[in-house]
Amino acid sequence: MSDLFTSLSIAARALAAQQTGLDVVGQNIANVNTAGYARRQVNLAAVPPRDRFSAGGGVEVTSITSTRDALLERRLRLETPAEGREAALADSLSVVESALGDAGSSIDGNLTEFFDAWSTLAEDPTSATARQGVLIKGQALARGFNDMADGLESARRDADGNVRGLVDQIDELARQIASLNAAIGRSGGGSMALSFKDQQAEAIKQLSELIDVDAIENSTGGVDLSIANGRALVIGANAYSIDVTSDARGFAQLSSGGMQVTSEITGGRLGGMLHARDVVIPDYQDSLDGLAFALASQVNTQHAAGYDHSGTQGGAFFTPLASQAGAAAALQLDPTLAVDPGLVAAAGTSTGADNGNARALAELRNARVLDGGTATLTDGWARLTYRVGQDSSTAQAEQKNRQEIVSQIDALRESVSGVSLDEEAMMMMKFQRAYEANARYFTTVDTAIDTLMQMVVTG
Amino acid sequence: MRITFGSGQAAAMQDLEKVTAELDRRQREVSSGRRMQSPGDDPASWAAAIKERAGIASVDQYVRTADSATSRLTVADTVLSDLVTKLTAARSAALAGQGSVQTDQQREATAQELEGLRDAVYDDLNATFGGTYLFSGGAGITPPYVRNPDGTVSAYQGDANELSVDVDRHRSVRISFDGRAVTLGTDTQDVFTTLDQLITAVRTNDQPTIATALTGVERAFSRVVTVQSGVGADLNALDDQRARLSEMKLAGQSRLSKDEDANMAESITGMQQADTAYQAALGAIATRTRLSLMDYLK
Repeated sequence: MSDLFTSLSIAARALAAQQTGLDVVGQNIANVNTAGYARRQVNLAAVPPRDRFSAGGGVEVTSITSTRDALLERRLRLETPAEGREAALADSLSVVESALGDAGSSIDGNLTEFFDAWSTLAEDPTSATARQGVLIKGQALARGFNDMADGLESARRDADGNVRGLVDQIDELARQIASLNAAIGRSGGGSMALSFKDQQAEAIKQLSELIDVDAIENSTGGVDLSIANGRALVIGANAYSIDVTSDARGFAQLSSGGMQVTSEITGGRLGGMLHARDVVIPDYQDSLDGLAFALASQVNTQHAAGYDHSGTQGGAFFTPLASQAGAAAALQLDPTLAVDPGLVAAAGTSTGADNGNARALAELRNARVLDGGTATLTDGWARLTYRVGQDSSTAQAEQKNRQEIVSQIDALRESVSGVSLDEEAMMMMKFQRAYEANARYFTTVDTAIDTLMQMVVTG
Repeated sequence: MRITFGSGQAAAMQDLEKVTAELDRRQREVSSGRRMQSPGDDPASWAAAIKERAGIASVDQYVRTADSATSRLTVADTVLSDLVTKLTAARSAALAGQGSVQTDQQREATAQELEGLRDAVYDDLNATFGGTYLFSGGAGITPPYVRNPDGTVSAYQGDANELSVDVDRHRSVRISFDGRAVTLGTDTQDVFTTLDQLITAVRTNDQPTIATALTGVERAFSRVVTVQSGVGADLNALDDQRARLSEMKLAGQSRLSKDEDANMAESITGMQQADTAYQAALGAIATRTRLSLMDYLK
């Protein structure tokens, strides 16, 4: 049988418990906009009675826990890198797209004007203006290719710059997570570690957008992270940064723990940027170089088959290119030809007076010289543009898809861990009424004690 | 499923972004008049537009070439007509010189007329167009005939390369002529020598020579007519070709328009719909975020 004073202490403890509940509500409402915050809830348990005739010992707070669904967190961490990768690819490709120029005013426009100039020369092979015109348009065509090659190279350098920036961000986040691991270890678990875990979950979410990571809970309640094929990023309180070295061309090469990981990173924004820098853009550069190389060799071959106005056999029109690599950036008018329009080989016979070669060169616009004889030079340019456009639109569509998936998982996670103001208002009322009721009980017991005292005094 | 404060905001933002993106796309279509702003919008159509534009530019070049060839051949035709007139007159004069009742004065008059006609033929053959000679073959800046110091006409100075230009992929037209096709043909001497001989023969009343020279003039006459009918045929063909090229260009432009141009009616309707959707989305978000239970707790 319990006495009145025990009841008083039960009431006091109950008031404290309801107040804790209000505190938790207050904490939730205060953190409604905190990124990564998981709703706290207070767990109450009834205190069992000490003997058969007592009702119970009141209520106690067993724990304050956060509502975090580990499975959803893990799914989010697995799906986010794919979205980051497509987003990075889409960004990089939209830069390349804008470098391609409009239909009719880019390299295809230059090609058209170049061949038109040869047609004009064929109409009057004695015209010095027409010869000059051919040189001017040839120059413009070469510069068009140079500029386009520049554009692609600078898109590649952009991607490289992004890679370096992303590695910095990743290293920073890794350091953060490692220090949070230390803090969680020191706090000794329980509700003390909850806010650190919130911050850590948010940091891991940001990290997984940048690079695909594997996370394993370690023994102290923190998280160990690894990247690529199991290379350590964070172990306990130690963060291992990704090392960046520049290769011969100035592009960043990544290594972790002394091993090259550049080609092993495939997910996240970093993976997307690396893919753009090392696979996608170089592929376009190759195609452009192939186009420039074919143009130079076809024009040079035909030019050499003709005769200039003094009857000498034609020399090179464009400076001969040693190989396809770098052809677009190196394409230029032969310097000897560039200063002497008379050297333009318009004639098809050695008298130097007819227009046969000029006509043949003008006809090159329709010659199928690319892709094993199936495509003209303009077709080749159209195919390159098509590939860039297709890759870009695919990346954007993929990104939208992935974003949908990530949003859905995030929404599920929110519904488990998020704070609902209406719900907190309800809880607030709940704890407030409970507090009032317990206070009323306290007053009642206090009055009963008073009555008891009165009995003793007046007796 | 619990709807939380955060999830509600996130969902609202995503929906708003989708609607805004559609509105933006439609607005750009309307203001630029183009269906595609970048290759990624429709890669296949963009590539087709590039090829179509190149095709149209090619047709344009053929049209320019055909136009300039037409002008040149029209001049050549005029010159050849004049040659026909002059040679006809020379023939009449030669026939007159063949008559036996010619006085010395009449013969002298005929001879002078023939000299005038020979000079006219010389000028005609040296006709130019656009700074180049029509009858020099490929040697456009070399006159086909010049005057020797003794007043006679030189040998042919041009070459045998008759220049042609392309007015379509496998169609070309001749724009310059080998002068010898008119003056010499298969004869052993050119028409100037024949005319000089005729002039001397008329003066000296050398009938046999007049007769031989007359046949030479007649042969020159038929050569000119042959060349002229060739030019006439080419001019007709060029007219047809220009009409054909203009149709090709029109067809190319209409294909290009299908690839590139936005359907204005559809774009404007789409833009209005997107605008309505945007306003509705904004209104819905405002309505939702207005109330919460907190407002009702005293």
